[in-house]
Order: sequence, then C-alpha cells, then structure tokens
Amino acid sequence: MAAAKKLMSVTRDWRERDVRVVLVALVIAVATVATIALFASQLQRTLVSSASSFLAADRQLEAENGRPVPEAWMQQARELGLETGRMVEFSTMVFGEAGFQLVSVKAVSDEYPLRGDIEVQAGPSATRDLVSRGPVPGEVWVNPRLLRLLELNIGDTLEVGNLRLEISRLLVREPDGGFRLSSLAPRVMMHVDDVSRTGVIQEGSRVEYIYLFAGADDTLEGYYQWLAPQLEPSHEWEGVRDGETFSRSLERAERFLLLGGSLAVLLAAVAVAVASRQYALAQRDTVALLKTLGLSGRGIGMLYLRRLGLWGLAGTLGGLAIALPLFGLLVSLLSQVLERPVDYQLDPAALVPAILTALVSLFAFAYPPVRRLRQVPAMRVLRAQPGETGREAIPDILLAVFAVFGLVWLYAGELVLVVSLLGGLVLLLAVLALLGWGMIAVLRRVRGGGNAWRLALVGLYRHRRASMAQMAVFAMTLMLASTLVLVRSSLLDDWQAQLPENTPNHFLINIAPDAVQDVEAFWAERSAGLDTVYPMVRGRLTGLNGRPVKEAVSKDERINALNRELNLTWMDELPADNRIVSGQWFRPGQTDGVSVEAELAQRLGLELGDILTFTIGSETVSEPVTSIRTVEWDSMKPNFYMAFPPGGGLQNMPATWITSFYLEADQKLALNDFTRRFPTVSVLEVDHIIERIQQIVRQVTQAIEAILALILAAALVVMAAVISATLRDRQREGALLRTLGGQQALLARSTMLEFALLGFFAGTLGVVAAEAAVYALQAGMFQGTFRWHWQVILPIPLLSAGLLALFGRWQLRPVLSVSPMLLLRRLE
Amino acid sequence: MNQITNPGKTDTDPMLRVSNLTHRVNLETDTLTILQGVSLEIKRGESVAIVGRSGSGKTTLLGLLAGLDTPSEGTVELEGAVISQLSEDERAMLRARRVGFVFQSFQLLPALSALENVMLPLELAGMDSPEQRATELLQRVGLAERLAHTPRQLSGGEQQRVAIARAFASDPVVLFADEPTGNLDNRTGQAVSDLLMDLNREQGTTLVMVTHDEHLAARCARQLHIEAGSLTEPLLAQESAD
Ligand SMILES: Nc1ncnc2c1ncn2[C@@H]1O[C@H](COP(=O)(O)OP(=O)(O)OP(=O)(O)O)[C@@H](O)[C@H]1O
Ligand SMILES: [Mg+2]
Repeated sequence: MAAAKKLMSVTRDWRERDVRVVLVALVIAVATVATIALFASQLQRTLVSSASSFLAADRQLEAENGRPVPEAWMQQARELGLETGRMVEFSTMVFGEAGFQLVSVKAVSDEYPLRGDIEVQAGPSATRDLVSRGPVPGEVWVNPRLLRLLELNIGDTLEVGNLRLEISRLLVREPDGGFRLSSLAPRVMMHVDDVSRTGVIQEGSRVEYIYLFAGADDTLEGYYQWLAPQLEPSHEWEGVRDGETFSRSLERAERFLLLGGSLAVLLAAVAVAVASRQYALAQRDTVALLKTLGLSGRGIGMLYLRRLGLWGLAGTLGGLAIALPLFGLLVSLLSQVLERPVDYQLDPAALVPAILTALVSLFAFAYPPVRRLRQVPAMRVLRAQPGETGREAIPDILLAVFAVFGLVWLYAGELVLVVSLLGGLVLLLAVLALLGWGMIAVLRRVRGGGNAWRLALVGLYRHRRASMAQMAVFAMTLMLASTLVLVRSSLLDDWQAQLPENTPNHFLINIAPDAVQDVEAFWAERSAGLDTVYPMVRGRLTGLNGRPVKEAVSKDERINALNRELNLTWMDELPADNRIVSGQWFRPGQTDGVSVEAELAQRLGLELGDILTFTIGSETVSEPVTSIRTVEWDSMKPNFYMAFPPGGGLQNMPATWITSFYLEADQKLALNDFTRRFPTVSVLEVDHIIERIQQIVRQVTQAIEAILALILAAALVVMAAVISATLRDRQREGALLRTLGGQQALLARSTMLEFALLGFFAGTLGVVAAEAAVYALQAGMFQGTFRWHWQVILPIPLLSAGLLALFGRWQLRPVLSVSPMLLLRRLE
Repeated sequence: MNQITNPGKTDTDPMLRVSNLTHRVNLETDTLTILQGVSLEIKRGESVAIVGRSGSGKTTLLGLLAGLDTPSEGTVELEGAVISQLSEDERAMLRARRVGFVFQSFQLLPALSALENVMLPLELAGMDSPEQRATELLQRVGLAERLAHTPRQLSGGEQQRVAIARAFASDPVVLFADEPTGNLDNRTGQAVSDLLMDLNREQGTTLVMVTHDEHLAARCARQLHIEAGSLTEPLLAQESAD
C-alpha cells in the first residue's frame, strides 16, 4: 500500500492545481467570513455603546411623579450584578454676581455616566476634553452660554438655592443629551449629594428622578421582568432601542452588517463548493487506480475524509492567519474614524460561522462525489464518468445547499434574510435553467465558424455544461455582490436624506402666542429661517370609545405614550415628510377629527372613526380618528402623535408654540441675544447630537465600505476559482484547436467574446435576482421603500461582461500559448 | 500566403522536404539534442512509416514535420513552403487547410458528441454547413449510429475512428499519425489501420505515421528508421516494394 500512500501524500496534493484552488478558496472563505464576523461584532459593541451613551447607560428608569423609587429596586439591581447610577433633574433659578437665570439642573451620582463620556472645557477657549464622571460635591459645571448670561468666570461661585457652588468647568456636551422636548434652560450639572442642601426641592416641585443601569443584556432583561409588575404609570423604563431618534439608523446598520456577513458566508460556500466539487470529480482516475491497487471502498472513504480534514484544518488556520491581522487593521481604522481608542475585543464566537462555513461546504461538496465513486467498479469509474450527468448529484447538492442556508440562518438568525436570499437564488437558478435551455436550443443551430462571433457562440455551445455551471456561479456571485451594493446605496441614501446639510439643530420651545411674530422676525434678521411654527398643547390620551384607554388597550402592550403627556397640535397642512396611510387629511374648513401617528395607532389598535378622549389640564376633548399618518421621527423637526385641524378640538386650549431651525456654528452667540430678548422661550440645542449622529453614520459608512470591499474581493476570487477550474480542459482544447488550424488571434478573440457573453448573461441574471432579493429585504428588514436601481442594473451586465472577458483572456493566456506539441506528448 | 496552396506544383514535387533538421531542448543544466541532422523527402501520395525505439525522437520529428513546433536548425518544407519560417498563425492556417492529425490518445473533446468533434475543424475553417460533411465521414468510418454519443460512451477503437473521421474532415493533403493503434488491442488496431489505409488511398492523401506495429509499418510504402535522433535509412525515397 506504499504506492497508495504516496499517491495520497499531502505534499503531492499541493502540486495539484485543483487542490491548490480548494485550499485558496478555503483560506479566502475563512478569512472573509471571520474578518466580517469579528468586525461586525466589534462594531456592534462600539455602536451599542455609542448609542447607550445617549442614555448614559444601557437602560434608564424615569420617575416623573416627583418621588424617588424605593431603594429596594436599586438594591435588587446591584445584587443581580448591574451597575447603577442616579440623577435628579429639575429647573430652578440660579444667581450670579450680575443677575439670575432659570436653568435646568442635572444632579448626578459618582457613577454617571455609565456609558459614554462628558465633554468639558477648562475655560471658554480651552480644548475640549472627554471625562468619564461628573462634578464632585461642591462644584458645578455650566453651559458656556450661562457663563456669558451671568457674566461669570471659571472659579466664580454660583448660588443654587441655599448652596454656593464653585464653577469648575464648562459643560460642552453631556452623553445623554435630551431628545425629548422637555423645557430646557441652560444646563447646570452638579453632584447629586448636594441636592438636598440646596433646599430647592420641595413637596410638589417638578422634579424627575432618573436611574441608570448597565450590564449584560439578559441580566437587564431579567431585572426588568422582576421590576415590571411594580412599576407605576409615571415610571418609564427606557432601553437603547426605544429612543425615538436614531435607533432606526442603528438597527439598519446592524442589519447591514448581518447581511454582509451572510453574503460572505454564501460566497465563501460557493467558492469552496465549486473548488472542492471540481477536485472531487477530478479524483475519478485516482480512485479507480486505488481500487485496482486493491484498496477497499471503506479505506478510500477514510483516506479522503482524512485529507479533507487536513485541508480543512490548513485552510482554517491560513484563513485565520489572514483574518486576525486584517481585523486588527479595521479596528485601528475604526478608532481613527471615531477619534478615540476602541478596545480591541476578539470575540471567539464570531469565528464559529467562518470555520463551520468552510468545513461544511468542503465536506458537503467534496465528499459525496468521492463516496459515490468508491461504490462503483473500477472499470466503470474509468469509463462511465459518474457525476457528470449531475443527476445522481442532485440530492447531495440540495443537501449541501440546505446546509449552507442553515449556516446563514445560524449566522444571521433572521428568517427574512434567509428566505429573501434563498428566494432570490432559487428564482435565479430557475430563470437560469430556463434561459440555459433556450440558449442551448438556439446555439445548437449556430454552426460554422470563420469569425470570432460565431466561434464564440459555437464555443458557448461546445462548453454548454461548463458554461451553465459557470454562469450559475457568476450570476450567484454577482447577485450577492450587487445585493450588497444596492442595499448599501439605499442605506446611505436614506441616511443622507435623514440628516441632510442644514438639518435643524436648534428647537425653540414655549413661545408665547403673541411672541411668535417677534421671534420669527428676530431670526429672519439674522438670516436663519425658522421651519414651520407649530402650536403645542400638552395633554394625556385618557379615553377610547368612551372607556378609559388603559382598559381598552390590551394589557401586554406597555405603551409609553399612555404614561406621559403627549404633544398635541393643530395644523392645516400635512407636513411634507408625513404620509397618510389611511383616512383623509383635514379638508379646508373641517374642524372635527384627529390625525394619529401610525405606529401608535397600530399599537393601540385604533381604527378610523374610533373616538379618542384627551385630558388637557382640567378639560377633556373627544374627537373621532379621521386619518392615520406616518411621521419621520428622525427628521429633527417637531413631530406630533396627534394633530387636530385648526379651529378643532384644541381651540381655546392653552398653547405655546414650537419650531426648529438651523443655526450655523459661528452664529451661536446670537442665542445669547435671543434669550435676553425672549427670556421665557426655551432653546434646545441639539447641534452636538446631530454631530454625533453624523459621526456615527460616517463610521458605519466606512465599515460598510470596508465590508463591501472584502465581499467584492471574495466574489472575484470565486470567479477566478471557477474559471481556473476548467483551465486544464480549456488548455487541452486550445492545443487541439490550434493543431486543427485555429489561429491564435481568432481563438483569443472568440474566447474573450465567449466569456463576455457569459458575463453579460450572468450579470443580467444576477442583477435582476439581486433586485428581487433587495425588494424582499427592503420590505422585510430595512423598512425602506423599494425602487428600481437603473444606475446599477444597466452597468452591471456590461461590467461583468468586460470583467469576464479580461479574466478569461488573462486566465487563458497559457491556453493560447501552449505548444500544440502537448497533444503529441500526451501531457495532461 | 500563396505558397501554402500551390496549384502549380506537379505530382513529382515532394510533399515534404526536410533538410538537416536538428532539434535541441534546453534542460536545467545542459542541452539535450533530440534530433541530429535529419534530411528526407516525402512524395505526394506516398505513405511513410517512422519506426524506431522508444525515446529515439519519432514524436519530435512528427511534430516538426507538421509544424507544431519549430526546429533549432534546418528547414521543413511542406508543398514548397518553408514552415519553420511561417508565423504561428500562418502555420495554423496551413494546418487547417492541408494537414490532418491522428493521435495515439485520440484527443477528442469529452464534452462534445462524435458529430460535434468531427465538425470542429470544419467550423474552425469557417465552413457554413459542416454537419453534412461530418455525418458522411462518420458514416464512412462506420459510426452512423453513434453521432450523438460522447467519447466516454465510445470504446477506444470507436473513439479512434471518430478521430480519423475528424482528421479527414478538412480534406488534408497530408495526414500525420502518431501511433494511431498504440492504445488499441490487436484486432481493433487492425481494423483502425485498415480504415486509415483505405481512406488514405481513397483521398490520395500523403500519410506520415509513427508506429511500433510492424504489420502496420509494413503496409506503408516506405519505412524510415530513426535511432538516437538520426535517420539510418537512405536520404532519398526508394521505390516501394509493392
Ligand atoms: N521538451 C522536452 N524536454 C526534455 N526532453 C524531451 C522533450 N521532448 C522530448 N524529449 C526527449 O527526447 C527524446 C525523444 O522523445 P520523443 O517523444 O520524440 O520519442 P519517441 O521516439 O516518440 O518515443 P516513444 O516511442 O516512446 O513515443 C526522449 O528521450 C524525450 O524524453
Ligand atoms: Mg512518441
């Protein structure tokens, strides 16, 4: 058996082209999937912690009833191993040398912030620093604007109630910048232990107690399960994903990464599958030889299993050797973009899909053909070429395809994604089979050569089996790659549209009705145009069709909107970014009815015609639902759950007005003039928040580009593997054609044309299937609106035709230059 | 290009004239001389067997005669055209119009049916309806029933008959064959060589064949013996025994 051993030796394997292709495919598969998975999990952590820092924690519990929560609640959280912290927020007057000012105080405990950093300055012109805890007792940090308003300096004292505190720093940005339109005066941050000594908080003061929690997701969830039954209506539990703004962008980014990773899994599987199947089929002669040497079928099976295992191991190690440094590189890029260090965390669980993908596709595609061969008598192995008809292989391939989709499912955990991709691929293969069948029928008639076009068509027919297989793989690869390109561009477009240049970055709240015109004039003078100014009435939704709303709505829905006052408004025109999904917008002159935001309507189970009752102060208003509309919560404009018609239910209710506008950074000082002239109007500055969001969008965009590049590289490798899989056959054929009189230039041209045709068909199919998959994904995962992407649909077939022509030319160079003597020498 | 097809030539002009052919290959360390000073002439319509021990240089000589390779020294003239001076593409054109091949290992394309394999040179030559001519040829070699079968479904002898049909498809004036029966058993080899000789006679083709088969060699008008890269027979054609 020494000869057999020699025949199967690993070093000899390496010299075989097929084996090298398998190994390269394995290495690339492991490298791409592992890099993407590692990076995605790193990015997800980074993003979640960025987003968590919007809450300064993973979860917040807010008590809006002016009373602290029982200490036992916090005790329980700490016992479960959660980090906790607390804050108290209230408004009060503060006094400086030169006067007084209404401020909004945030008093924080030592632990604040649990997530994110506070941005501070040591003086008005000092550099900005990031710190990870708030002021110590005895000190306050204040908004730079307050300093100017009260003509104070760093080191001066600020009186807060009975307490004199030293201004030690300027507060530039707090991580949990408010998105909600609560009344906002300049911010003062102090230590929570000082609060009781100020004496400002009395029975009945409007004060919010906020508790911060951070820890593992399941611990938090467990804690919430424990806590939920004890919560009162005035308690609000908030997670990262409940935030009205930005959470959708974040979710989409996560989903994109998931999609990218899944596509990488699929591409990797295709690469390994093609290579290993090619290898397995090429082993026919060796298997026959081993049989004639007397090796049993079992022995042959073992031999191949062992060497496949060995390659699996080698490929995995090789892939990891590439993935780990690449991951390090990406992380360091990430921290450059973020302008802060990112802790490099290697999540071993992220490696599992990579290794499983490589091994499953290796064994699933390489072993079954070998196993079938070993049952066939040696003579028939030599003669009949089993596996070539492909029919016996169908169950194997189906099994392998299911295994691969199982992997995608395992990786993504998203049924929509798996179904969309599988659906797209099935559609693609069905169309391909149909098209291929038709094409062969047509090509069969093309006869004769003479010019490159006809030779190319004859060539396509001549290689019909290989051509169809290659077309299937190219089309699949192109489909996967273009899916990613399409999803990426629609994602980026969405983001761009969501936060365009000049996104409003300041809100004006609490404008008295008779001040509206003056406020508008003030900003018009400074050429900062205000958006629409809306009236705002605060009220609670208390009744539905005559019953108390909490009874009327299903118990297991916890709806924050019912626990707090809603911002109600009246308007005659539907805001440009709102869309009516049912019912009709108010007709001119109409005074009855209310328009409800779609998500809330869905959660409350509202239908057109339902009667809603609102309690506003001591009054109640009842109106029927006349329309349901969607709202762009991320638009940074005032948005309302409930809109009434002018002169409708809100008439005579106490209203203040609200608007938003864009203010350039160098005009910020105008705010001081503004607050001096309109002391009762609150200014909510969200410019830092918008900057943060834009920064995160940039960072995610870069990550997406990096992943896209990786995937495209993997796609190119797949194509190269597929083409080189048939290289040997083509080499022989090239020699024969030239012996029979084919001229090099003609053969080169017809070969390029043949590949170009292949590329064109594959590109067309791939892009159409990609559109189908994107359609499903948009509907199921990204909640975007679908449109055709002509800018991608048109160029991709041409691009893929050109690419494959070049690829073909480059790969087939040896074919065209090999001496026809090859045939006489019988070298194979 | 007018030297390639030269209707002015008479039958007495040699089909092939080789003078002082030497072929060397560069190995890693030194140079190996495979053929040394070979000169010969082959007349139109003549059948010649090249015989000699394994490794003596027969295949190399055949390749050079057919213009598949270019010699280190000396010239090969096919119908008066010095093929070693032609470009690769000109030689390809020459092969397409004037030369046919039969290989020991058949060299059929496995993905194509018998018919398509025979059509291949016709398509390359730009013929418009190659199907009819290919079908006729396959009928002639006795494979009328096997047109749609792929090489894997044919026996070795049948495959070689397809290869012979392909070789005659483009109406060659000279046919080169390297051990056409080398991979076949005696009886099959006999049938294949019968076919080859018959077709050769019918078409008036010049036949140059390398063979180890003494019977087959004996059926050729002339035998050239080659030993260690040199011919051991007289330079000029002698009158054949039959
Ligand atoms: N490209 C090459 N490189 C190195 N050696 C070569 C090359 N081509 C031929 N040879 C050597 O030249 C010699 C003649 O080879 P050739 O194939 O012509 O012999 P042959 O007479 O056809 O033998 P056989 O009857 O076994 O087919 C052999 O020793 C062969 O190894
Ligand atoms: Mg030989």
